[in-house]
Amino acid sequence: MTELFINDEEVTVPAGTSILEACRSNGVEVPYFCYHPELSVAANCRMCLVEVEGWPKPAASCCTPVAEGMKVVTETEGLEKDRAMMMEYLLINHPLDCPVCDQGGACKLQDYAVDHGMGKGRYIEAKRIPTDKDLGPFVNTCMTRCIHCTRCVRFADEVAGTGDMGVLNRGDHMLIEGVVEDALESELSGNLSDICPVGALLDKPSHDVSRPWEMTRHKSTCTQCPQGCDIEIESRDDEVMRVRPAQDGVEPWICDRGRFVYDAFRSDNRLLQPKVRQGNALKETTWDDAIAKSVELLKDKRVGIVFSPDWSLEGLTAIRLLHDVAFEDCKVAFELHRRDTRPFAFEEGLSMSTKAIEKADQVVVLGSDLRQRLPILMQRLRKRINGGKPVTRIGSMYYRTNTIMAADALIRPRDWAAVIASAMVQLTELGKLAAGMDAWLENVEARHDAGKLLADALISDSCALLVGEEIRSHQDAAALIHGLDLLMRAAGHAEEGKDGRNLLPEGMNAQLLSPMFGDLRTSAGDLFDAASKGELDTLLLIGSDPVGDGLFSKQAKAALEKVDLVQVSSISGDMGQFANVQLPASAYSEVEGTFVNMEGRVRIADNPLRSLGEERPMWKVMMRLTQALGFEVPAVSLAEIREKILELSPVLTELADAWSGKDVQAMFIPSARNRKATTLPVTASMQGLDIVSRYSMYREGAWARASDLLSEAGRIHAMDDVIVHPDTLANLNLEQGKLVVVAGSEEAEYEVGLRTDVSPGVIFVSKRGTAGDLSNVTTAELKGGQ
Amino acid sequence: MNLIKRHLKTWLLWELVMGLALTGRYLFKKKITVQYPEERTPLSPRFRGLHALRRYENGEERCIACKLCEVACPALAITIESEERADGSRRTTRYDIDMTKCIFCGFCVEACPVDAIVETQEFEYASETREALYYNKDMLLEVGKRYEPQIARNLASDARYQ
Repeated sequence: MTELFINDEEVTVPAGTSILEACRSNGVEVPYFCYHPELSVAANCRMCLVEVEGWPKPAASCCTPVAEGMKVVTETEGLEKDRAMMMEYLLINHPLDCPVCDQGGACKLQDYAVDHGMGKGRYIEAKRIPTDKDLGPFVNTCMTRCIHCTRCVRFADEVAGTGDMGVLNRGDHMLIEGVVEDALESELSGNLSDICPVGALLDKPSHDVSRPWEMTRHKSTCTQCPQGCDIEIESRDDEVMRVRPAQDGVEPWICDRGRFVYDAFRSDNRLLQPKVRQGNALKETTWDDAIAKSVELLKDKRVGIVFSPDWSLEGLTAIRLLHDVAFEDCKVAFELHRRDTRPFAFEEGLSMSTKAIEKADQVVVLGSDLRQRLPILMQRLRKRINGGKPVTRIGSMYYRTNTIMAADALIRPRDWAAVIASAMVQLTELGKLAAGMDAWLENVEARHDAGKLLADALISDSCALLVGEEIRSHQDAAALIHGLDLLMRAAGHAEEGKDGRNLLPEGMNAQLLSPMFGDLRTSAGDLFDAASKGELDTLLLIGSDPVGDGLFSKQAKAALEKVDLVQVSSISGDMGQFANVQLPASAYSEVEGTFVNMEGRVRIADNPLRSLGEERPMWKVMMRLTQALGFEVPAVSLAEIREKILELSPVLTELADAWSGKDVQAMFIPSARNRKATTLPVTASMQGLDIVSRYSMYREGAWARASDLLSEAGRIHAMDDVIVHPDTLANLNLEQGKLVVVAGSEEAEYEVGLRTDVSPGVIFVSKRGTAGDLSNVTTAELKGGQ
Repeated sequence: MNLIKRHLKTWLLWELVMGLALTGRYLFKKKITVQYPEERTPLSPRFRGLHALRRYENGEERCIACKLCEVACPALAITIESEERADGSRRTTRYDIDMTKCIFCGFCVEACPVDAIVETQEFEYASETREALYYNKDMLLEVGKRYEPQIARNLASDARYQ
């Protein structure tokens, strides 16, 4: 710790802190433009000058570390003069267009011009006019306003990792340039408009639409991915204008998916009125009518329930209550990405916070496209790699990460057991053992070199194992996860406090799904198969879109054509064409409720936006249905629902404090463990090529598909529907072009694209178009087209 | 002496006489009644009457949708919505003034950085329905078109005090 004096007041800060940070943390205001707490120091705006006693010249406080006994003064006549001169320089080329600039009213340059500027410019020569750049659908540019703080350049280099912003020339000729084809490459590009201290980079979708002072801010939790970032929804009246990261949130950034999905809140796909099918069209109707029609379809019928996990905890509890009261024997499916319904040794959810993952000695990512799935976790890993710490990765594709992995291996999904087995062998050789390893090893004959990478990482002091979708969706997932569990036990990463077993989940509230619904878990594929065989009459679909998402779209399509569909959702989406009744449920921005992210972090939303139409919170819809079906309603208020939560899940007792207003910042709900889940792998000889279903952050999820903005970005960043490695084709003596994929008895022709970053022997399929039908196929053959 | 004077004034109703004398003087003086609407009193160039939206000489509307008038309005009478026009300029898609709310304080005129919203000397826009007092962008631009010479004259005459 270092003691110093700021404006004659003694303060203590950690050694190595810059003067600016010391001032900020002690509430002393120093003006700055180029400094940003999350970015490296550039010290090029010279606005943060302070005087240090005994120094001949003012010092740039952002790049000057504190020293013992230093006497810093932030307000003197000389400094005011310096600041006024700096402002004059910055304003030389800055246009006087504050009235049309979206930043106006929330602009540092504007504020400092008032606080420190001269009030009148003396510059009468021509201003320079750099041309605007096209940075894609999310970021608008007005380069005449740029003051060359280079925050955007540092963001692109350090945070996004894409490096597609840069500086050309020097001095008066200095230009910020984007090296951009169609759009910025980064999945975090929306943050550029937040970090620009002036109006040079602005939010394109909300450009020229509103002004900062019109906004009402609602703190909320993003449910677009399991990360569950703290967000601030800015609304004008009831209309959502923008989504931004919360000022005091855990993460300083949010991804483009979470930011620009707001477009869907007012899209035509939004479900705002109850609707009932009449002939070929869905007609708006009253709640009473729609509920009556739903009861007709549900009462005394064979019902299957499929729901998505992104509802609030209260909503999920209400679904469980409806099931327990009215549909006790019916099938329930909630995991559209899980083929193996046996209990996992460690269920979905993280056992470490993302901060702890960033700090661990070793991080291993197994089969996950983290950049697309969890962009903010990927950002943490990128930050870690920039700090010189290694990340090992094994997967069926060198998924783009915008950073460099310490060790990287390509494998086919069928090799996972071999990888784990050879890691086990290596740990055994080092004398690290766990009970059950032998039995597991006996079942696997094959070995794979990639296992060495895994074993090398595991022998460190602390290791975070991030198990991704390639394993989670594997047909033998329970065995693989048991194998990984054994490895972690053997290496000593499974003890309390050092637990490094993380299974990256598919959606929000992952920690709660297994405790709340684990006993009811049915494979979504089985449920749809049962429906298409005529074993079900009605499907109650709560929020999920099994045709657009998940592995079972083909089966879902077949099922939906057979059975009646009661849809409860915020987004009508593609399910609208099948629905007989649609009941509108409030979106995540419009409910009071509790959300749990993948770390188990609890967030309570208590400042919702007003509903746009007649939609109701999920728990109300569920309770209304229960009542209409003729059963006693288990809970009639939010408080009663919350009591039920505590009854159903004793692990959540802490929540009671949270609801009564206690701070929940440090509250984590642990993910479920199944000590007894000792599933052993099955040795199956597999022929042909492995199929992996690829995830795109711009199109996965009904919300994203309802958003025009994300759809546009999806088109820009799209890869081919079917991708293979050139060697795969070479081995089969095939040429690139239209090829036939043979899966079992079915054949279909696709335009096959080539990429060298995918594993040979694997076919990557996107969910777009007809390629989505292949999602639930594990192996297929390729042959030449006509 | 003063006491006697005061008593005389009181008992002889002196104040009343003086007052009636003034009334009488006016009764026989030349009348100055303005025969409205045939005759009109002169108005100050700063008179705050009906609002107008102005255009530049080339026909481009002046308003840039900065919404400063909206935020300055103490009666919340102004509602603006804006978007980026195809040519990239910021323009209003909606500019409404609710004349039933407006208190004619002139803050919107003060706030406008481009002299787009002004108040004319027109005050004869009473209507038989409320609806006719909800002015939208087209109506305000129409007012501007009609009164442009007068507006320009008034702004010019007041320019040195701005």
